[in-house]
Amino acid sequence: MDNQNTVYENPRKIIADALVDLGRQDERVVYVSCDSSLGAAGGPFNQTFPKRHFEFGIQEQNAMGEAAGLAASGKISFIAAYVPFAAFRCFEQIRDDVCKTRLNVNIMGNNCGFSVGPLGPTHVVVEDVGVIGSVPNITILSPADGPQYREAVFKAAQLDGPVYLRVHRQKARRIYEDDYRLTIGKGDLLLEGSDVTVVAASTMVANALDAARMLKTKGIGAEVINMATLKPIDSQLILASSAKTKKVVTVEEHSTVNGLGSAVANVLATQGPALLKKIGIDDHFAVVGEWAQLIDYYGLTPEKIAQSIENFLNT
Amino acid sequence: MQRLSKKELLALHQKSYAMRTDILKMMRFGEGHIGGAFSSLDIITVLYNKILRHDPRKPKWEDRDRFILSAGHKCLALYAVLADQGYFDKEILWTYNTLDTRVPMHPDEKVLPGIEFPTGSLGHGLPVANGMALAGKLDQKDYRVFVVLGDGECAEGSIWEAVMAASHHKLDNVTAIVDRNGLQVNGRTADIMDTSPFEKKFEAFGWAVKTINGHDFNAIYQTLRNVPFEKEKPSAVIADTIKCKGLDFAEDQFDYHHWHCEPEKIDEAIVCVDRKKREEGANIG
Repeated sequence: MDNQNTVYENPRKIIADALVDLGRQDERVVYVSCDSSLGAAGGPFNQTFPKRHFEFGIQEQNAMGEAAGLAASGKISFIAAYVPFAAFRCFEQIRDDVCKTRLNVNIMGNNCGFSVGPLGPTHVVVEDVGVIGSVPNITILSPADGPQYREAVFKAAQLDGPVYLRVHRQKARRIYEDDYRLTIGKGDLLLEGSDVTVVAASTMVANALDAARMLKTKGIGAEVINMATLKPIDSQLILASSAKTKKVVTVEEHSTVNGLGSAVANVLATQGPALLKKIGIDDHFAVVGEWAQLIDYYGLTPEKIAQSIENFLNT
Repeated sequence: MQRLSKKELLALHQKSYAMRTDILKMMRFGEGHIGGAFSSLDIITVLYNKILRHDPRKPKWEDRDRFILSAGHKCLALYAVLADQGYFDKEILWTYNTLDTRVPMHPDEKVLPGIEFPTGSLGHGLPVANGMALAGKLDQKDYRVFVVLGDGECAEGSIWEAVMAASHHKLDNVTAIVDRNGLQVNGRTADIMDTSPFEKKFEAFGWAVKTINGHDFNAIYQTLRNVPFEKEKPSAVIADTIKCKGLDFAEDQFDYHHWHCEPEKIDEAIVCVDRKKREEGANIG
């Protein structure tokens, strides 16, 4: 819920600035682009450090292999492309050349979720977390706001291993202060409550917070967790919260198959008793539309999330 | 042009046949990609003995030349050469085909010194080699990157992406050697997916190209010691080879791409390889 102090930030701009600052701090950082050198968060880096920018045009399989070869030679590779091309087209290169080898390759999946809804099902991908998450050794980050995106860039570079960083096109509402520090593998408890645990990531964190405020007016205390690290999932935080609330709702702009909801389900099914409701996209290719239209269509607006949670608690 | 002396030629010849015998001994426990190993062995032998700047005591030496076996299934040859060079205890070879071995059927850099990069899925090696070459240029290092590709492997689109990118980025520190044995799992490469003509394709993609007999030690040596053939261009060496070279009853037959052998057949093969070694050795010089 916005007021006059509400700030929205463009994740790609945040990442672009972070990459330049990171590049100044560490000359090992290189940027690999697939005809994405101008827009997709890399432009300023490429202008600042042209020798450390490598362009590959429309050939993601080779680019991913080259990013691995650079990392195997001591570089810290950042590679960016639209989600389907960054995560799927070169999936085997990610698995064999990046993950098996555990190299410092940081894959930026641009325009995740419904970012580019009008482009249709070839470009709108809601399966990437499931696909990438199935591979050992890789960390998946899906930040919620500006400071968290910035931190994700720095922490990904520091981590001695591959990272898949989901980057949304939608401007992100500020949640954290400038001095926010991300710990990979740890979720953030944003709001305490005792009736239901709401676990969200990316764009859905702001919507979950708004939904929680709506629920509060009805006397329902929702505990909201921002799970920016989708893999490895913070099972400790999930278990601690669900032990209190006994009911968990996950909210994701992603398929409910093998996304955040499934990761939380895996924790609950093996370690803690709690009922779970997954809010997201059922197992199908999304319809075509603008981001706001799709968020509404799939029940991901604050109002619809609040209603779903209320219904869940009443069953 | 500098040639190998008769003594050097004989030494390489002896070595390559001793390693063929080692590879057969490894195969005693079951199966392996012997066809491609024997077709690429002479090339890899010359690389490690005469061309690469490397130190088996320091496999991670920053300034080493890099060698990537893109067609990872040919790794029996690489294992034999690395053991011969002293990268690891030769006893490890005899664990091939056993549980949790350090010499699996596709090479694993995490478990064996000297393996530059894990390969096995075809079409991955050249992109990675390019990345290493880019890093070398960026760091102003003079190491070179050599890659062995299979001719069947070159049906993979990612190879041609990398061929395009290597010349776009002017990677004259990259040399790709195509082990053109003409066969793949299910038959003749020309029948399954004709990857020819390599020379024209590489040239059209901006590479400097030479064709050699991939079992002629002098030709391999003279060609590889002269890379890059042209400044600012990557080098391609199209090496005509014989699948399963050195094992008469299996030469140029696709059934021996991957050989499920019986132990008694191995003894026969070792005798066969010994005979070939003597026959060829008598003609050297």
